[in-house]
Amino acid sequence: MSRWRRSVDELTARRQQAECERAQEALSRVTSCFQQLTASLGSSADCSFLRDEINQTRVLAHRICSGLSRRLVRLLADGDSSVSGVEDRRLSERLWVVFLSALENFLFDLHKARDLIEQFPLTQRSDRRSLVSTGCIDGMVGVAARVALVQVPWLTLEEEPSPDLTNHIAELEAMLSEMQQRVSVAFWSVEATQPAWAEARGEPEELDGSLEDLMEVEVASSSKKKMAACCQLPCCGLGCIG
Amino acid sequence: MSLYASSVTLRTVPGGHQTCLVSAGIGSCPNVMANGLMLAGTSSKTGVRLCICLSIHSFNFYFVLFCFRVAGEAHVFGTMLVAYGYIYPLQNHKKLVMSNDTSLYRFQVKPPFTLCVLLFSAIYLAKRNIRKKGMLEPYEQVHYNHLHEWLNHKWDFIVMQATEQYKAGKERKKADRVVFDCQERAYWIVNRPPHFVHTVVQYAGLRNPDIEALWPPLVLLLCLCRLVKYITTYKNHDAFLAPCLPSNPWQTDNDSYWTLNMRRVDVPTKMRVERWSFSLFELLSDLRGRDDFKIFLKKEFSGENLAFWEAAEELKWGTASSMSTKAETIFKTFLAPGAPRWINIDGRTMGLTVKGLEHPHRYVLEAAQTHVFLLMKKDTFFRYLKSPVYKDIQKKARNPEPHNFRLFNSNLSKPAGAKFSEPRCGHSSNHPLAAGGGGESKGCCCLCSSRCQGHDEQNRQEEVKSNTVALDIMRHIKYQHK
Repeated sequence: MSRWRRSVDELTARRQQAECERAQEALSRVTSCFQQLTASLGSSADCSFLRDEINQTRVLAHRICSGLSRRLVRLLADGDSSVSGVEDRRLSERLWVVFLSALENFLFDLHKARDLIEQFPLTQRSDRRSLVSTGCIDGMVGVAARVALVQVPWLTLEEEPSPDLTNHIAELEAMLSEMQQRVSVAFWSVEATQPAWAEARGEPEELDGSLEDLMEVEVASSSKKKMAACCQLPCCGLGCIG
Repeated sequence: MSLYASSVTLRTVPGGHQTCLVSAGIGSCPNVMANGLMLAGTSSKTGVRLCICLSIHSFNFYFVLFCFRVAGEAHVFGTMLVAYGYIYPLQNHKKLVMSNDTSLYRFQVKPPFTLCVLLFSAIYLAKRNIRKKGMLEPYEQVHYNHLHEWLNHKWDFIVMQATEQYKAGKERKKADRVVFDCQERAYWIVNRPPHFVHTVVQYAGLRNPDIEALWPPLVLLLCLCRLVKYITTYKNHDAFLAPCLPSNPWQTDNDSYWTLNMRRVDVPTKMRVERWSFSLFELLSDLRGRDDFKIFLKKEFSGENLAFWEAAEELKWGTASSMSTKAETIFKTFLAPGAPRWINIDGRTMGLTVKGLEHPHRYVLEAAQTHVFLLMKKDTFFRYLKSPVYKDIQKKARNPEPHNFRLFNSNLSKPAGAKFSEPRCGHSSNHPLAAGGGGESKGCCCLCSSRCQGHDEQNRQEEVKSNTVALDIMRHIKYQHK
């Protein structure tokens, strides 16, 4: 009876771990897209579309984070001695460490986003003049599409009100400290699964030239575009240089 | 570490020996300029200031701060700006310099302080590794390996995040992606976090790199505490902060201060004696103090430590030709077993020193000298401070009166009951050329303008006036070209 019970528990634990792993990958994708999106805050590509996309990305990340934290705490707080073998426990601990690192990373980006949004509020049309013209030509559509493709296992199951930016930051910080108090995982005991330099042998893609080569081509074309952007300003008395 | 392409693209315009940076792509409306600076101000904490030197081709004075008249100085200054990470080049990444051609530059961003610097650095390196398929620069490879070992527990996260960031970056348009990459690369070249060496904590098996990221601030805190302690101790002995007794010879042309503090004076001054109590180093550096210490040691019959220390100093600072003879005498006197003044150092140091003396060089006695110094510091020095010898000299030490010169032809009447106040031009009453006696003085009577505050003020105001004239001229030219 107990052996059957144990095997059932093991299976559930493993399923939960797989779910957490998928959620972790999704979180990684969402946070990296968030980072790219916030890179354009305050620049000439800043617009309400961008802000909306940032908000949606943040909300999605919030959902993933809260669900993931709940599941991980459940996995690690309860399953000390009972169910999981050493391997399972190690896997859960690795997921834990990865999640906490992801949270710290995301928090940093959130802080940055909040500071920038505070400095460049786009509430009125006149605020657009305060934006720094970086010559950014991207509308961030590709990144936004990438975010939209992210799927979370429990997205449909749980619906919670999503907080705004400041509350989100406060909530995440509270979550971080609470998690670290409830479960004690020795960070240094977790070992990497991948050896060093493994990621370089990833999928073969088209060879990107070095930055210098790319810039050679780009200077001619992009500078023209940038010049065009600048000459549209009526008061620019510089004339196109170079 | 996410950064973003900030503000405008700058381009260098070669003008012979004078490089000038022209900002292209912003209008002349003051809002944009102000915010260009503001953005850089919040991010780079100092506000980016560009050097522009006047060349006949440049018209843009939006960021005028300096005008270099010396050939090449602008180039050097520009290179410094790039090297310290205020601006980054969009080409030529291998070396962060500013080149005297039509290359493009942009303002760099300084992200807010975070303790996760190592983590971000690792993510960046992994991302670059993916992009370059393993062909990193040698220093990057070293750093990568170091981080892989140090952040091994977070490595899965690092790789995952790096892959995702790389893929997210590919979604952007090519030009923006390239600029973003350039910026990141330049940022990490400048702000590479230092390598953490193995620590005792690590040997104990309790490695926690997040705490160790706190070490630089902790070390800084310790250094600051030491600095504070140093300042409080030496406050009264600094000639700039406290008045020199009896008077500063450079100011008053009276050299009694020097005669009182001569090398072989019988009775030293109180300040000097107090200084000896600060540390053994102070005591030994002052030769009068060293003599006093020698007297004390003679009473204690333990003078060989100091003698050895002095002999080692002589060896260190002596001529090269005398070194071998000196080394031999030192060995015979202090180190050989059964020597007349044998010093008591531990066996390991003794062994090393004796072995080194076979081929003597200037610093062969360094280890032994340090050991002896520490012995004296920990034990003999404190006994000396409590000894009757030191207390005696403290009592005998004299405290010279501060000088109070008076102008021999001073005919200013002293109003009855006047306080001994400072004259109007700000001289202290100890100033030899000040109007004697205090009271109201009719203007500055001082004869040396370089020490007079009133004259200094005048000079400063003249300088300010000439600077504002220069600024006005430049502003005038700018508005002319609008």
